[in-house]
Amino acid sequence: MLEVTDLAVSYGGLRALAGVSLVVGAGQFVTVVGPNGAGKSTLFKTISGIVPPTAGSVRFEGEDLLAMPASRRAHLGIAHVPEGRQVFKAMTVRENLEMGAYPMAGRHAWVRMLDRIHTLFPILAERAGQFAGTLSGGEQQMLAIGRGLACAPKLLMLDEPSMGLAPAIADLIFDRISQIHREDGLTILLVEQRVAEALELCDRGYVLETGRIVLEGPYEILAGDDRVRRSYLGLDDA
Amino acid sequence: MSDPQILVENILNALTAGILIGCIYGLMCVGLGLIFGVMRVVNFAQGDFLMLGMYAAYYLFTGWGLLNFLGPYAGPLLAAMLAGPIVFAGGVLLHRFIISRVSGLRTTASLDEGHFGQLIVTLGVSLILQNGGLIVFGSSPRSVRTPLSSSAWVIETPFYDSLIFLNKARLLSSVVAIAVAIILYVMLERTRLGRSLRAAADNPTAATYAGVDVDRAHRIAFGLGSGITAVAGGLIATYISYSPFAGLDFVIIMYAGVVLGGMGSILGAFWGGLTVGFVQQFSGLILPPQLQNAAIFVVFLLILVLRPQGFFGRSAERA
Ligand SMILES: Nc1ncnc2c1ncn2[C@@H]1O[C@H](COP(=O)(O)OP(=O)(O)O)[C@@H](O)[C@H]1O
Ligand SMILES: [Mg+2]
Repeated sequence: MLEVTDLAVSYGGLRALAGVSLVVGAGQFVTVVGPNGAGKSTLFKTISGIVPPTAGSVRFEGEDLLAMPASRRAHLGIAHVPEGRQVFKAMTVRENLEMGAYPMAGRHAWVRMLDRIHTLFPILAERAGQFAGTLSGGEQQMLAIGRGLACAPKLLMLDEPSMGLAPAIADLIFDRISQIHREDGLTILLVEQRVAEALELCDRGYVLETGRIVLEGPYEILAGDDRVRRSYLGLDDA
Repeated sequence: MSDPQILVENILNALTAGILIGCIYGLMCVGLGLIFGVMRVVNFAQGDFLMLGMYAAYYLFTGWGLLNFLGPYAGPLLAAMLAGPIVFAGGVLLHRFIISRVSGLRTTASLDEGHFGQLIVTLGVSLILQNGGLIVFGSSPRSVRTPLSSSAWVIETPFYDSLIFLNKARLLSSVVAIAVAIILYVMLERTRLGRSLRAAADNPTAATYAGVDVDRAHRIAFGLGSGITAVAGGLIATYISYSPFAGLDFVIIMYAGVVLGGMGSILGAFWGGLTVGFVQQFSGLILPPQLQNAAIFVVFLLILVLRPQGFFGRSAERA
């Protein structure tokens, strides 16, 4: 479904990604983990077309994403839930969801998706008329995910949804993401620093370090890898 | 006539005149506020869009007389409203070829968010419009005069039997101004297009992720903001006379109104303009006309000191 090949990005000469390749198949749950500054958000922004790559290609269902304006992606069925939520603060919760449903597919599926979003995150129904800027961090994250779902996407991209959240809230968010994958069969690409939780959810994982993929494979392989166990899962081999 | 009667009558008429002119100022401010609110561009050419609206109305009604057949009531008002789409088209083209090069996503990353470039470019556009206007429209003063400009409805009040004079041209113009502002407000609040403009203003990156072409949203906002201000120009043209430099007189009023209302709020911009109208008319009771703009500035500074976020400034969470 999504194919990223040999992607390279630099910010004014500073290399942020080098030779990154990644594949997400339809129906899969794919996770990219890596420490702060590894280039995870840069990867997402490049896929979403707001950071231009210096080399490589990004294809979605066979179409060349790099050849089209950034705003087309939502219309093709890619939802990007950005790092730091980025909700529309001066708009109400309801209006944020309506903005999520901006593409045609979202408008057609509006009633069904709104119902689904409210089932997953009942608080969003309670807070429908409240300005998004007044929500708590966890609620804003729920809203950001809800906004992503509202376009009835084929691929949901989530950039560190647990960032800055209390562990209990982060767990709830992970539960919901897993639920969306299982129950709606939605294809998910997740980027996380909370490696243990993120790897547990995924079918396939990639480890990104300083702009390069250093390891990839199914969950069992990654979770069994010594390096991953030591540096990310905090487990000793002893 | 007794002294208190004259005083009360002066106050009541200043009040009415303030409301009437204030509605037109409010509408101009809404146009400027829309452009600033959505694009964060400080547009110094806004006064000249107003001037273009005045001339569009002039040619449609008085100059070429295309709308004369509609008579003195509907004719000038329709001419003012048609100035909107005409200047809208100009604004869209201007954004497409010039303003978009110094604004939007491509400049938000730069240190000054492109404000320096915008200042130079909009000042340049302003100069070109003024001097181009001088060449095309000539320097002799124009106005969209109708019999209504100098006739009034008279209302008797119970206060010392004083009379309020409602100038017909001004009253009709204000009604249209309010209607246009309400239509714009409803469009922004209730329609998909309006929501996408607000989203693009709120968070351009997130709007892009949601599928909004932010550059196009800016173009529409710029066109609408130009067109709205031009309608205000067409409306005020029914009772003042003007030259291609008329925009200069109003650009101060527009900035005062928009800042008073809290930059970026449409309702606030309208109230800001209304307030400026009041201050101007009331200061006219005690100050010579040359000092009326000074009075606007004094109130403006006072409010900035006392309430820097403006009347309708967004609270911290909403900003
Ligand atoms: N806009 C930018 N300009 C310059 N450097 C950037 C920019 N955004 C990110 N970087 C740099 O690129 C690297 C990768 O950043 P990022 O993709 O945000 O990492 P992650 O999301 O994995 O924490 C970091 O070294 C960061 O400092
Ligand atoms: Mg990041």
